[in-house]
Amino acid sequence: MNKKYDVVIIGAGNGGLAAAIGVLKAGKSCLVVEKHNLPGGFATSFVRGRFEFEASLHELNGMGQGAHTGSTYALFDELGVVDKIDWLQIKHAFRLITKEEGLDFTMPIGPEACVEACKKLCPDGDKYMQRFIDLSINCAEAMNYIGQSKGKPDPQVMQTKYADYLACASYSVDEVFEAEHFPKVMQYVINAYWSYLGTKTSEVNFAHYANMTYKYFLYGAVAPKLRSHEMSLAFVERIHELGGEIWFNTEATKILLDDKGRVFGVSLANGQCIDTRHVIANCSPHNVYGKMLNKVPEAATKLTNFRRLAGRGFTIFLGLNKSPEALGITDHSYFIYDTADANVIYEKMKKLDSAAGQATVCLNHVHPDCSPKGTTILYITSLFMDDVWADVDEKDYHKKKNEIAALFIRKFEEATGAKLFGHIEEIAIATPQTYARYTGHPQGTIYGYESQPNDSLMARVQMVNEDAVVSGLRIGGGFGERLLGFSSAYKSGLSEAKRTLRDIEKEAC
Amino acid sequence: MFKKNGVEKDIANTLNIARRRREAIEATPATPLPKTYKVNELSANLHPGIIKAEIVKIEPLTSLAKRITFRSMAPNKRFPFFKAGQYITVSARIGKHLVTRPYSIYSSPNQALDGIIEIGVLQAGYFSNHLCLEARVGDVVLIGEPSGEFYYDNLRDSSHIVAVAGGSGITPFVSMIKALLEKSDNFNLTLIYGVKTLNDLMYDACNIHDPRIKQVVVLSNEQREGYEHGFITRDILAKYVTSETSVFMCGPNPMYAFVLGELKKLGYDEHRVRMEHNCIGDLNEDSDIEYTLTVHMRDETFTIPARKNETLLVAMEKAGLAAPSRCRSGYCGFCHSRLIKGNIYTPEEHDHRRAADRKFGYVHPCATYPHSHVEIDVPVLDALKEI
Repeated sequence: MNKKYDVVIIGAGNGGLAAAIGVLKAGKSCLVVEKHNLPGGFATSFVRGRFEFEASLHELNGMGQGAHTGSTYALFDELGVVDKIDWLQIKHAFRLITKEEGLDFTMPIGPEACVEACKKLCPDGDKYMQRFIDLSINCAEAMNYIGQSKGKPDPQVMQTKYADYLACASYSVDEVFEAEHFPKVMQYVINAYWSYLGTKTSEVNFAHYANMTYKYFLYGAVAPKLRSHEMSLAFVERIHELGGEIWFNTEATKILLDDKGRVFGVSLANGQCIDTRHVIANCSPHNVYGKMLNKVPEAATKLTNFRRLAGRGFTIFLGLNKSPEALGITDHSYFIYDTADANVIYEKMKKLDSAAGQATVCLNHVHPDCSPKGTTILYITSLFMDDVWADVDEKDYHKKKNEIAALFIRKFEEATGAKLFGHIEEIAIATPQTYARYTGHPQGTIYGYESQPNDSLMARVQMVNEDAVVSGLRIGGGFGERLLGFSSAYKSGLSEAKRTLRDIEKEAC
Repeated sequence: MFKKNGVEKDIANTLNIARRRREAIEATPATPLPKTYKVNELSANLHPGIIKAEIVKIEPLTSLAKRITFRSMAPNKRFPFFKAGQYITVSARIGKHLVTRPYSIYSSPNQALDGIIEIGVLQAGYFSNHLCLEARVGDVVLIGEPSGEFYYDNLRDSSHIVAVAGGSGITPFVSMIKALLEKSDNFNLTLIYGVKTLNDLMYDACNIHDPRIKQVVVLSNEQREGYEHGFITRDILAKYVTSETSVFMCGPNPMYAFVLGELKKLGYDEHRVRMEHNCIGDLNEDSDIEYTLTVHMRDETFTIPARKNETLLVAMEKAGLAAPSRCRSGYCGFCHSRLIKGNIYTPEEHDHRRAADRKFGYVHPCATYPHSHVEIDVPVLDALKEI
């Protein structure tokens, strides 16, 4: 006889782990199946020599500081994992270095400090920064309110309290800044985070971008002390405490649908079938609708074809044999761009060898003991906006990896004056192929579906139930309505769990 | 208040955000979704996991060592294009035991694409004896994909590698030499190869005339003209190692300790020495103490004996369980498992677990010995059941 669960979750990535806790907390039985031998998806770490590298997380926002706990903190608290993790506070927002404009600007943390820093940047810089913060807070509060009102906000409240949001929420970052006459240099520094969302500023939705960015400026960010693997294992521990099960090295191959097209089970690569009426898939809809269903509703095919795969990942992990001070690495978080214009960099990222932009983190600046004394952990991340890695031949692949990595390392050296070559004790390079290997994401995308003018956070949130076209199947995580990123994936997973619980309730009636 | 196209229009745009998305989706054609993606295809070629393979040739290398040739039985009839110096695993059933061992690859990356991988095996233990004495042409084994970081990396390493090999530790360097000759790789390799006598050479590069490759044989148990004699001492090393060279070592642990000491005396930074990991063996004491090991694999539970001097992995292999393993030295984490109950011991020099694994109680069974009855949750490797 098949095993039976109220809910089966496919994928133990951030979304799947959060979803499992959500389901279990409501007293429902739950099995998580994961293809890989580790939890977390991208939220993991790996050991090379005497270094343990963080696999993906740069910084986690929305945790807040002191009395100002944020939405991510609230989520972790609700899930019962916040105290299982040691958190480290990150001290600066970023250092932005752009070649074309000759910019080298360090953004501090805290509203006053940010405003002060911008005052020195250009005339009225302080006022523009304040205006950005005010607009952002209005957008964030409006989005919270909409969320709490379960998609049915009171128009009166919206018009009176969230007028700014209502007016700007359909526009891109560029459109809003143009309308507000922000000087270019102000746009450049506020837009520095654009590569965290991986959409050019002419397309990324302002309210979405602002909702992410102002949190960094105001409250900074945190990192788990033992890399994001610590978060993943904390989630797993919580799942076991609640009586849930996780099977690793276990690939779900099919989601089984009955004649009426509703879920009745999941089949696994080993031939086993699991009975369930509810599946939460923490993987790409491209894979779910493209491979896992025997009959795909037309609406699902259209919806999936409509999406655009977001940036394909590329990361260079360096274990260096000197301290950050000795190497000249002075900051935790760098954005290094050929030009401050995100739209230009975005286009350059369609080429294999432009190395036009990078987001780079030196872990030792937030966690001095993350590597042995006298050594440094640095990781350089970039994106490819097209499938340029798809045409690399297997025999050239290893060489190509190093060739492209060298371009990024050199750009870091040029921009910062730091010395990396000659000090590399360990190196690992993750290409889109690597990300495809560990997550199965199509073409090695690490950012789910790109935020598009017609496929923005705001639009997706309003259409979550419409998007769930197969009865008994919900899809959450980095491909979900909240788009990419750690906190978004966790939140999306928990939201899908809650929707699934409502589905279960409705069935019982 | 924010204004762009006028209040009414701006607000209308926001209110219509979902409608516009709905219309765009509706206007999208229902073309069938792709079944596969090019990036994922290459990824699958590079990382196929476990590959079924047939032994097609067994030849002697010395009186105690054999060269074993495997041919891929994968649907694409090939092995991944690896980096010379990497290892594979070989899994086979011996009686009830389901045993997996890592072996450095002896053949070249190009050969892998032709479906051939070779290993050089020295009779030295349970599985190597099996491969050298019992295995026959036509036997089917399982090969785990090429792994490890014991290869030349132009961003990390100097373009001159001094390779120190002891005994069967020569094998990854043989692969590197073949890679140089077939132009899969390009660097300078000085091979310092320590063996007891000339008859113990598992490979001889003396006939290779390539300016990038140089061989120095050091015989410990005999003196011969044209060969160094004794151990691999600082005097020998000093002839080839400078502060600019990278040093790779593969051989027995006592050789590592000795050569590292000699290199340090030369002022060479020990962290620049890349040593291939050696398998962890049984401990000498407490072989008579036996505990119960409870193994959870998905919804199955197995209760098996586990000796105090053997690793948890060995106990599972002896019980014929499909337990994952790769490096067998505590390093790679492929056997990563959750400790549910019991006291365990992981020797510090083999404890390469992630920091959070230690915090939350995860173990690498290949490097973990039981100190009480133990209960673990192990991610079963189904592919091993195919043999």
